[in-house]
Amino acid sequence: MKKNRLPHTAESSARRFGMGMISPTILVLLVMTAYPLLFTLFYSFTDYNLLRNLQKPASFIALGNYTKLLSDAYFRQAILNTVKFTILAVIFEMLIGFAMALLVNSLTRGQKVMRTLLLLPYLLPTVTVALSWRMMLSPNYGIVNQVLETLSLPVFNWFSDMRTAFGMLLLIDVWQSAPFVFLLLYAALQAVPQTQYEAARIDGANAIKSLFYVTIPNIKNSLALCALLRTIDSFRLFDKVNLLTGGGPANTTSTITQYLYNYGIKSLDFGFGSAGAIVMTVLVLLLSSLYIKRAMG
Amino acid sequence: MKKLLALLLALVMALSLAACGGKSGGDAGSSGGSSTSGDSGSSGDSGSAAPTKLTLILRAGTYADVIKECLPAFEAENNVTCEVQELSESDLYSGIALDAINKDGTYDLCMVDGSWMAEFTENGVLANLTELGYSLDDDVIPATTAICYVGDQLYLAPYYGNVTVLMYNKANVEAAGYSADQIKSLDDLLAICKNAQENGKKGFIYRGDNQNNLVVDFLPILLSFGGWVIDENNKPTVNTDEFKAAMNYYLELIATGEAQVKDDLIASVDTGAGTMGVGWPGWYTPTADSTADYIALSGAASAGAKAYNSNVYGIWTIGVPNNSQHKDLGVKLLSYLMDAEVQKATVPSGGVPCRYSSLQDADVLATYPQYEVVCQALESGMYRPVIAEWTQFYTTLGTEMDNIVNGVKTVDQGLADAQANLEQLMG
Repeated sequence: MKKNRLPHTAESSARRFGMGMISPTILVLLVMTAYPLLFTLFYSFTDYNLLRNLQKPASFIALGNYTKLLSDAYFRQAILNTVKFTILAVIFEMLIGFAMALLVNSLTRGQKVMRTLLLLPYLLPTVTVALSWRMMLSPNYGIVNQVLETLSLPVFNWFSDMRTAFGMLLLIDVWQSAPFVFLLLYAALQAVPQTQYEAARIDGANAIKSLFYVTIPNIKNSLALCALLRTIDSFRLFDKVNLLTGGGPANTTSTITQYLYNYGIKSLDFGFGSAGAIVMTVLVLLLSSLYIKRAMG
Repeated sequence: MKKLLALLLALVMALSLAACGGKSGGDAGSSGGSSTSGDSGSSGDSGSAAPTKLTLILRAGTYADVIKECLPAFEAENNVTCEVQELSESDLYSGIALDAINKDGTYDLCMVDGSWMAEFTENGVLANLTELGYSLDDDVIPATTAICYVGDQLYLAPYYGNVTVLMYNKANVEAAGYSADQIKSLDDLLAICKNAQENGKKGFIYRGDNQNNLVVDFLPILLSFGGWVIDENNKPTVNTDEFKAAMNYYLELIATGEAQVKDDLIASVDTGAGTMGVGWPGWYTPTADSTADYIALSGAASAGAKAYNSNVYGIWTIGVPNNSQHKDLGVKLLSYLMDAEVQKATVPSGGVPCRYSSLQDADVLATYPQYEVVCQALESGMYRPVIAEWTQFYTTLGTEMDNIVNGVKTVDQGLADAQANLEQLMG
């Protein structure tokens, strides 16, 4: 009996020590994450307006904000736009980032230079990226239209034309975020054992087969992580939309965050905005649950 | 080599820190938070006491620049230092609002767009200037003070006389056989823009980048057709015959050009790539040899039709936040900035005072003849509706107008939807 107790006590003590060590982190997480989330959830059931609240306290309106939100055709359009954008952005960013990683990983010389150059777009602040692209795509003095005109090709008013605005936002996001995918996958590729490639070569596998039977299985966790991070990030797209199109033309680029900004945050209706934020969080969780399940499994 | 590099980096860092921390005088920076510092211990109320710090929250651009250039004299005279925050319109609005919930406010003077007035006064954001002993003098153009009062109590002072004007390219207008004084109605505008389009140029340029700009650019047209967005009981009136006529005209007008952001619009009209657009005096300072100029809209839809007041105010007013910790100094600064002579001195830097003594001054007009137009426009302008829901109002209306402009909805359908949504909003 005594014999069993000793290791049990040691184990409990170790567990207590472990709990003690992680408790500051848990506390920080509770304060920084759980509290704002609960706060947002609470306000989503009220008609809280920042300024009106100075004169009249917010009232509990149950699901009023959620009903208003989900019955609004423009919110539903914003959800569709966001989902469409997320799916396309993640697909393109993953494909391009992966291709870049494979290319750089295969280089025998100049890997460091290429790595640095390819990372540059990701290092730029989003505001800089948005304004640079706005200048390049300006219908007035933009270099893109000037080149197209020189080549006798049709020119567009890129951010004000319903045919092109969404595509341009997608292009800019892919341009800026594909390097992030590249960086993660490049690091993963470096860890793939060379012996597996040699074995595959001896077995007669060509480059395509090596890719599908050696490379991808070895980096599948990194691929899943990349897809998860890019999904979450793309879903929250705001700054580029707000700076470049404001959700227009005719709501074709309106994302959930832009909608919430226009109809909730801008007018200081934080109750309504909170309801939108909760809906968005649920949608992100649903969309990324597959990845999370995989990552946790 | 590594040591040398480390030494170099340390040196650069030390120099940077010294440069950042060593500023003791001079002009304010150009953006974000900047401060103009007076000489501590200079002549003033407090003698050799440490200077009081006043914080100003202003609209970035010429509006803040002209205030900043007035500050050093005030600082020296009153033993204060002024820190200036320059923000975009939306950031300015949220900056003032977010600070209003604090017991002790950060700001001592704020710049306020006329359309925020109702919301701010209803919720006690602004201090009552009348109670603080300030009043406007007769030199201020009366129409510009319309929204500054609640009853007979003054809350704001009209500082920068922004009012919509028609910005046009001189050559394009002349090519259509017109001169500025021959543009008598909206029909003339359309004729000029169509002519420009036929000549391979863009006609009317409008701002389609957000709901606010869409609505504001359209309001002068709507007024020229005798319409408005609300009635005297604050009920929405966007599904009326006047509104529809104005919208149909606007669609025809903008079909001659395209949507552009503000900077592109100015560049377009300046270079002649575009012919005209609705603008503000703060955007562009025409000179005798500049390629573009501006005029006030006549307010008539067609030749012989009734001329309405069609110039929409975008006046930047100044006030003192109710939770300012230096209200007296804030009012003193406001009085100083509103002083007729101080305001006139800002004209060469792009200031547009709402004062007859500045805008009708012979010397000013000799150098800046366009101020005559601005003065006329200011005398007969219209403020955007003074309703607490204006932000939601223009967002809703702008969204439907965006749908109409892009052909997603017909004029009838879009305006009916806008009317229904706005009625719901206004209760």
